[in-house]
Amino acid sequence: MKHTVLILNGPGLADLGDYEGNRFSTLTLESISDDCETRCNELGIDLDFRQTEDYDELFRWIAKDSEDFDGVIINPAARAAAAPETADSYRSAIHLVAQLNKPVIEVHIDNIYRRSAENSYSRHEPEGDMGFICGFGKLGYTLAISSLARRFEKNAAA
Amino acid sequence: MTRKIFVLNGPNLNLLGTREPEIYGSKTLESISSECRALGVKKGLDLEFRQSNHEGDLVDWIQEAIGVADGIVINAGAYTHTSVAIHDALRSFDGYKIELHISNPHLREPFRHVSYVSSAVDSIVAGLGVDAYELLVDILADALDGQARKN
Repeated sequence: MKHTVLILNGPGLADLGDYEGNRFSTLTLESISDDCETRCNELGIDLDFRQTEDYDELFRWIAKDSEDFDGVIINPAARAAAAPETADSYRSAIHLVAQLNKPVIEVHIDNIYRRSAENSYSRHEPEGDMGFICGFGKLGYTLAISSLARRFEKNAAA
Repeated sequence: MTRKIFVLNGPNLNLLGTREPEIYGSKTLESISSECRALGVKKGLDLEFRQSNHEGDLVDWIQEAIGVADGIVINAGAYTHTSVAIHDALRSFDGYKIELHISNPHLREPFRHVSYVSSAVDSIVAGLGVDAYELLVDILADALDGQARKN
């Protein structure tokens, strides 16, 4: 049976050309999606890759749709996770995923701790199997996929 | 061209495999090191694995990497949350820097929620288990190339 992975991208990630402090000037969401597809094919994983400009839709995907997948990778876009008006909703959505007892990895394209605006970025996630990757550009996504594949292998062996 | 990478490990990581295996796994640092070095050879990377329980050793090794190494992977262990000296040393190293944690410090006690390392490195990986070392070596050459494009 093939394992399934859901990759969710939050608001602002559709147009990376405008990405704040963009040091990944040649990066597009399409190229990220292509790389993820290639990596998943190599590993025999079924991938559902999504992006939305709507916070509520993102939180709904996290809280509801995650249930149907073996592993979840989320790039909430730092603002969605850090801004006071959306941080609570993000955290409640993440809390629901954590209860599903499946691996979840949060990915950010750049190192959010080097951006002055997000110095206070807090990732006090609930208990759960929650990985964190940032600052690898699009490689962060393929790193996350490889990590999930290892996790699936181990769970299958256990 | 082979690229030199320092993989620096801080306090208590010498106990990997025996210390709280439910958090840190049952692999020893030595076996992780030999697996990573073998994979590194295939990827054109010369990995120098070190471990110390002493903060000053880590500072000395980061300084030693200046002008010698292309990158540093650092798991500073508990010094992550206390050491301004390690932060300063990392800032003086111009190569590619990665912070690594086996567990996710943000899922643990509040005193692990602050990292003095995070703002001094390029990239962070946490909570992927001991596999993180090998997974990193696998993408490190590409990550270094990306870093080169940036400059």
